[in-house]
Amino acid sequence: MTTAIMTTWRESRSYIIPAVVISIVALPVIFAVWFGVTAGGTSTWDHIVQNRLLPYTLTTLFVLLLTAVIIILIAVPAAWLVSAFEFPGRRFYEWGLILPLAMPGYVMAYAWANFAGTSGPVQSSLRDATGWSARDYWFPDIYSAPGLAFILGTTLFPYVYITARAAFTTQSLATLEVARSLGANGASLFIRVAVPAARPAIIGGLSLALMEAAADYGAADFLGIQTLGVGIVRAWSSFGEPATAARLALTLIMIAFLFLICARVLQGKQGSQLTTARWLTPTRSKLTTANAFAASAFCASVIAVAFFIPVGRLVWLFLETGPGRSSIWPPLQSSVLLGLAGAIAAFLCGLTYVLATRHSAILKSASRLAASAGYAAPGVVLGLGALLMLKTTGFALTGTIALILLIWVYASRFTSAGLEPLQSALGRAPKTLDFATRSLGTTGIRRLLKVDLPVIAPGILAASLILFVEAIKELPATLMLRPFGWDTLAVRAHAYATDERLAEATLPSLLIVLAGLGPVLLLSWRLSKSARTQS
Amino acid sequence: MIKAHKALATSNLTRTYNGRNVVDSVSLTLEPGEVTALVGKSGAGKTTLLRLLAGMEKPSSGLVSSGEDILSNTSTFVPIEKRRIGLVFQDFALFPHLTVLGNVQFGLNKLPKPVRKVTATRWIEELGLSHRIEAYPHQLSGGEQQRVAIARALAPEPVAMLLDEPFSGLDPSMREHVRHVALDAIRSAGVPALLVTHDASEALVHADKIAIIDTGRLLQCSRPDTAYADPTSEPAARALGPLHTLARDAFPLEMQANLPKGEMLHYRPEAISIDANASLSLPITRWRLAGPLTEMTLKSGNIELFAAARRTTSYKIGDLVSVRIDPDLVFSFEN
Repeated sequence: MTTAIMTTWRESRSYIIPAVVISIVALPVIFAVWFGVTAGGTSTWDHIVQNRLLPYTLTTLFVLLLTAVIIILIAVPAAWLVSAFEFPGRRFYEWGLILPLAMPGYVMAYAWANFAGTSGPVQSSLRDATGWSARDYWFPDIYSAPGLAFILGTTLFPYVYITARAAFTTQSLATLEVARSLGANGASLFIRVAVPAARPAIIGGLSLALMEAAADYGAADFLGIQTLGVGIVRAWSSFGEPATAARLALTLIMIAFLFLICARVLQGKQGSQLTTARWLTPTRSKLTTANAFAASAFCASVIAVAFFIPVGRLVWLFLETGPGRSSIWPPLQSSVLLGLAGAIAAFLCGLTYVLATRHSAILKSASRLAASAGYAAPGVVLGLGALLMLKTTGFALTGTIALILLIWVYASRFTSAGLEPLQSALGRAPKTLDFATRSLGTTGIRRLLKVDLPVIAPGILAASLILFVEAIKELPATLMLRPFGWDTLAVRAHAYATDERLAEATLPSLLIVLAGLGPVLLLSWRLSKSARTQS
Repeated sequence: MIKAHKALATSNLTRTYNGRNVVDSVSLTLEPGEVTALVGKSGAGKTTLLRLLAGMEKPSSGLVSSGEDILSNTSTFVPIEKRRIGLVFQDFALFPHLTVLGNVQFGLNKLPKPVRKVTATRWIEELGLSHRIEAYPHQLSGGEQQRVAIARALAPEPVAMLLDEPFSGLDPSMREHVRHVALDAIRSAGVPALLVTHDASEALVHADKIAIIDTGRLLQCSRPDTAYADPTSEPAARALGPLHTLARDAFPLEMQANLPKGEMLHYRPEAISIDANASLSLPITRWRLAGPLTEMTLKSGNIELFAAARRTTSYKIGDLVSVRIDPDLVFSFEN
């Protein structure tokens, strides 16, 4: 390895550039973890250990557990229905069930809190109809840990829906036929054969969903639930105690990493379910009228609860109250600029990974690890890592430095998201293309422009879109790092919502959802295309 | 187009993975204008040897040279992009975003633009693809794609061509035609070529030389007829076709006189053939058609003998046939 690095600049360049990019992506996480591990005990830390760490962790775990239950109950039956049966509206539900991915958790929380809160239309109508006062009845409280789990579950269930549906549609028809011949049918086919066979896919998707749930800050903060994410920001900004924040961050990142590892391990196992094409894609059976109605109603209510009701409520509020006093342009402009800068930074990191690490197994593993670390680390942890970097280097969080740090954090957090489309585009080209190119004497920039970029072109568009939207949706790190005058749509929406000026939060929230629809529609188009090629 | 080309050669070339020699002291010379087929079982080291020649991997020890030029030894390693070796793969590896012309022109970027197009067009014509010049890879059949890949590899005038199972992915109906066109083009370019194949009959029919590799070691490299009829070892003999083993004493007495020396003998099925004038008659216990030949099992006492005859007639089990043995296709490897 050492001699390889030293031989020529050309060769060493191919190590140095990815190594620099790996450091860029991994540094904020490393800082947060390093501080978490090495920070000495302080009085606040003791206070937190004695009074808060356990409640923060327990609340987080309780929310995650409940979220998992909600996700499984929604996603797995929905995926089975659309992949195994034919019923009215199935084609719409097939992609419509992915729509909730466009909603960040915090936007869902604002909308549902307003819709189902004490003064919202649901409870008002109930009181009008019954003549009760607010104290005369019990109503589920959205400002509670189960309320947060409901919000996170309804936003994140598509992760499991997508993986479960893929597993159900690629399940070996032979297995299902054998099960049928042995008398399994309907529910028993689902519970005894389909679900166990799809279990790795389901748990894999669930792990990713829970990792995202653990990373939530906006919804928990808005609903006033003391999760670890909220605790980190409080420890930093209210107690002014970076070491404590880092310790909490360490706990949170360990939870998130656990889920990521779980997901990766199970994703690897998914391949074993695939059999030859001849035995793929079971034909969908037609449901009887009553069952078809029930299936359709189930899917429709899931989409309504997870997408149309909250979006409808926000639109209603917006139309009712108008755009508010302050102009939407400055945050929109900040969002677009930061989104672009973040997307470009993450894209360049991702591109370097994909292209520069093809020939070195060590670099490949290192870059994958760095990207995973950034991906698994919640925004709030990365924000903290960046602040700790500033603290160590003695810079102040102002102007350009803050912007650079914020874009850095975006790159760290989203590189992994951009990698996937690039890698899958590259994966479609035969492996020998690389050798063919080199044997024709083509390397360096010419190779990048003439071969690599055209080959991954389909992935570039998807990657750019995903990265741009992810950066626009990002809340906690932006909240922690943005310089003065750089409020994004997410920051503005959160500020209004927590300030109980929900009407003014609607426009920025709706714009975020609108942006989020882009990648979701792209994803659903790709999924239905791959489903068609399989059948 | 004909230039004085140099041989591509290896000397004691070795590649070790986890303490195991995947390629083991291979010394092989590929002569200009000749197609050398590299045959061997899966995992014998064929593809690794090709990768070492191409510069896709660094050898653990040994030498790769093109004429006087050293491509790799302990102190030098010319990377793949500097070797000017044409590569052709089973999966074609065409650039999906470029047309046939674009693909073939790809390696010609050092030439002036008009020359580039003329050269590429000439190669496209040579491989019979003029009518597809503007097509994209996905619009071509497998055979057309492989011909583009060969034109692309030949256009920059490589010092050698390496072909990794180039025809095995093709439809049998077009394989023969593509193979013919492709190997003719390579021979007329005058470069040394290595054709990695697991198909012994392809090697026997189409190669100028056959190199047989087993567990990383080069067993034999010779002309196809020599390799088939005069193998130097049992694995080398087996690599090119069926081989039956029988103790000398077990052969019928009438056959024993002319057999080579040695206790344990190996023979090709065609060694025993039908000859109406032969004195030995044996009953048929099984027979089946194998392409243009009939393979039959004959009974001689308790021993089964395997024979192959040109298909002339239909047989019945128990029919007596007169057979003779051709000692040239009986081998002894005891010395």
